[in-house]
Amino acid sequence: MKVLIGSVLGGLVVVLIALLAFGVLPATSLKLVEGYMPMQMLFELGASVAIFAVMSYLLGQGGVQLSRFWQGILFWAYVLLYLKFRVYPPIPFSVRAMYGTVTLIAVFMWVSSNEEDWKKFKQPIMNVLDANTGFHKALRTVYLIALPILLWGFSYSSFLPNLDEPVELRTVHPAPPASTKVHGKTFVLQTSQNPYRVNPEGKYDQEYTNARIVEQAMGRLMKPDANPWDEKAEGYLKYVREGGEIFFQNCHFCHGDNLNGRGLHAFAFNPIPANFTDPGTIAQLQETFIFWRVSKGGIGLPNEGFPWASVMPPWEQHLTTDEIWKVILFEYWHTGYYPRTWD
Amino acid sequence: MRHVKSKVLLVALAALGITMVSGSAGVSIFAQEGGGLPEGFKKGELAPLPSAEMIEAGKRVYFTKCVWCHGVDGAGDGPAADRLWPRPRNFNQGTFKIRRTASGELPLFDSKKPVEAENDLFATVTHGLPGSAMPSWEGILTEEQRLQVLSFVTTQLIKDRKFDDKATETQTVLQLDEIKPIPVSKESLEKGAQLIVDKKCIECHGVTGRGDGNAFNLKDDWGFPIQPANWHKCWNFRGSRQDPYNIKNIFRTFSTGVSGTPMPSFADNTTVEERWHIANFVNSLCERDPEGNPLPIDPLTDKPKVNFVIRSGPVLEGEISDDPENEMWQKRERRIVLFGGQITHKPRNFVNRIDDVWVKSLYNDKNIVFLFQWDDRSKSVAEGKLPWQPTEVNVENYGVKEQAPKTGEGDSIAAQQSKYPVYNDAFAFQFPVKWQELPAPIKPRYLWGDQKYPVDIVKWEANGTIKAFTGTGWDQDFQDRDDYTEKLKVLKQEWKDGRWTLMVSRPIKEDYDEDTYFEMGKYIPTVFFAWDGHNGDAGRKMAVSAFYYTVLEPPIPRETYIYPTLIAIGVVILEGWVLTRRANKKKGKV
Repeated sequence: MKVLIGSVLGGLVVVLIALLAFGVLPATSLKLVEGYMPMQMLFELGASVAIFAVMSYLLGQGGVQLSRFWQGILFWAYVLLYLKFRVYPPIPFSVRAMYGTVTLIAVFMWVSSNEEDWKKFKQPIMNVLDANTGFHKALRTVYLIALPILLWGFSYSSFLPNLDEPVELRTVHPAPPASTKVHGKTFVLQTSQNPYRVNPEGKYDQEYTNARIVEQAMGRLMKPDANPWDEKAEGYLKYVREGGEIFFQNCHFCHGDNLNGRGLHAFAFNPIPANFTDPGTIAQLQETFIFWRVSKGGIGLPNEGFPWASVMPPWEQHLTTDEIWKVILFEYWHTGYYPRTWD
Repeated sequence: MRHVKSKVLLVALAALGITMVSGSAGVSIFAQEGGGLPEGFKKGELAPLPSAEMIEAGKRVYFTKCVWCHGVDGAGDGPAADRLWPRPRNFNQGTFKIRRTASGELPLFDSKKPVEAENDLFATVTHGLPGSAMPSWEGILTEEQRLQVLSFVTTQLIKDRKFDDKATETQTVLQLDEIKPIPVSKESLEKGAQLIVDKKCIECHGVTGRGDGNAFNLKDDWGFPIQPANWHKCWNFRGSRQDPYNIKNIFRTFSTGVSGTPMPSFADNTTVEERWHIANFVNSLCERDPEGNPLPIDPLTDKPKVNFVIRSGPVLEGEISDDPENEMWQKRERRIVLFGGQITHKPRNFVNRIDDVWVKSLYNDKNIVFLFQWDDRSKSVAEGKLPWQPTEVNVENYGVKEQAPKTGEGDSIAAQQSKYPVYNDAFAFQFPVKWQELPAPIKPRYLWGDQKYPVDIVKWEANGTIKAFTGTGWDQDFQDRDDYTEKLKVLKQEWKDGRWTLMVSRPIKEDYDEDTYFEMGKYIPTVFFAWDGHNGDAGRKMAVSAFYYTVLEPPIPRETYIYPTLIAIGVVILEGWVLTRRANKKKGKV
């Protein structure tokens, strides 16, 4: 019974990965949740480690113990396959190689944690080396011949002229300047404030406005009593609507209807437009930083931000400063994030 | 796209099985029980209206996500509408494009069924409408939220019709999942090719299906110009449901029509069998790789996956052919370059009609030749002389304006589509001058370079001119490079059935200080630009690509064979060493 439960448990995980690997299940069919991908990935990997541990325990109880050697190798293979086929958009090979190496080291630490385990782990290797049985002898001969041939093949293909796309890493959030001049007015980034982030008294008020942004849950919907399209909406919410109108007349072409960087023209560009629903973008930044980025656009980036490749317009060419502040107000409202503050 | 392949294979196998059992490819079972219904359809029931709670919850979704395009009253006039083409849907009339219901009927919608086969509107919100601004909401809104917002839209924003009105509404449903497809075969494709002529498909979609037939005279129900679909870009089919090579989507669209547009339903005048032949044929036209497999589609963008490297192949002896059908070109790998609108500097181009180009390249010791092929529904050549010089870039001084944000329906981009003054179709590409000296990773700006790093621009126009320029910035007039212009050659320029073919030859090495100096095996940053003369494209109003790289493929060097062999010999020695050591150790122990 325990053997059955154990193998069914582990089998499920393995079948899932196999389905993904052979393309029966497209990589996108199990959705990674927008904006929470890294946490979800870590959770899934952790969960599968737990499942494998339970499976191994149950199988051991039932008397069908897989040897340490194969456990280690299979787990390593599992992680490699998971990274290759589960995550979309695909992780570049160089990054997967890094994760793969770390996992390999972890597996080695695990199998060599004590003398007895280590012995058990290397036993199958020694068996093949010593070739005491006919089977091992045959296996050894195969390895001796296959290894040089395989390595020849690998090194041949790595010596072939590689005409893949070169990898260039840019800084996504470069250091901002101390101040920026827009439409003749100088804004000091440390002290400037969004003039539309106000309470009904007209005072700058983060607490008031943060209470009226969309809810941070699946769908990111507005609070039922804070509808910017309500005819009676005044002050902050009215500015949010005006900001949204500007956003949907100018920005959504790239940054998308849901501010996730998948707009109408986004597919043509490289780097792809910023995803504001990702907790790593506007949620990490001050409003004045966004103000600088929006006003000066891609062309205003320092070199580490690759200004030559960015199609982000310097919005001061198209919008007034008031319009830029309102768009920023809308972006925080619609994603449900708070702008970071200086203190 | 492996899954699509396997799906197609499964469908084909299933169909083959049926064919073998029944002994004929005909699917006539539905015709008998139809009772006056078109073949392949069955009577359906009107679904009950959604609950008041669903509608109320949907209002919240609508005013967070949808109102920006579709407007407060659902009339398709939200803030974004005037800069979009096609315009966002006007819900008021209850007209929806992609349905399984017969022409003129409301689409399938049931607020209790998040099942795509029984819920057209749910499928549309889930997958979006590729090729338009409507995104896929899967992964953003939960299934429940999608049903809620549709409950709100169908009851509150559709004003002219009622989903449960038994007196006026009927549901006649295409049995899309019951009818077995006819497998793709030579005979089926031949029949399909004949049928698209007989059924007059080519009048609008063009003789090769690039949507160039009647492209400038068609209007939708609201009077906005509309263009026929280009069958070669199935990923832009609105009803592709993010599965563009699936024949069923074409069968459905052909059977039920696209409501609100000139595309009718062909249910009454074609048999199910004929519709499958047509679907098979139309599907076969969609771009494929050289082996005939579907192109890999990026599920995040619903466009073909892009490789940013354009590889130019060596021609070791002789001249490079000027005939795209020549073997050297046929064998050459082609790569797709995707275009977006130039939306950085005024006049911005919010709607670019050219969205991709296929590029091939060959080089020999003297020249590098590029072969560009892109779809453009119209050949555009300006009548008379244009008021600006070819070198001038700030054409907004001459009245080439970008669309104002809020103009009202009559002046929106959608309404303007067939009214633009016609300029020349044009194509250009740029490389950095002296790219060898650029401190990595710096490049000249994608939009015509900058003061510090000038670019080498070659621009061809449909009136047959080709010129070399130096670009020093997005707002700086080009400088003529007459010496280089003399050495440029247009080997071929042809517009045929909605597609331009352009072959341009340029010297590989000229003046190092002024012209791009090509070297083998090096990554040379490249940007492509395209203008559609009928879209009013001129100057900066154009389509533009991201940075690509042109690489001249070097012949394989000798080291490629020597080093691996050395490594293999090393491994053999290592093996011997390990085995001897192990054997000695064991002996020592014994």
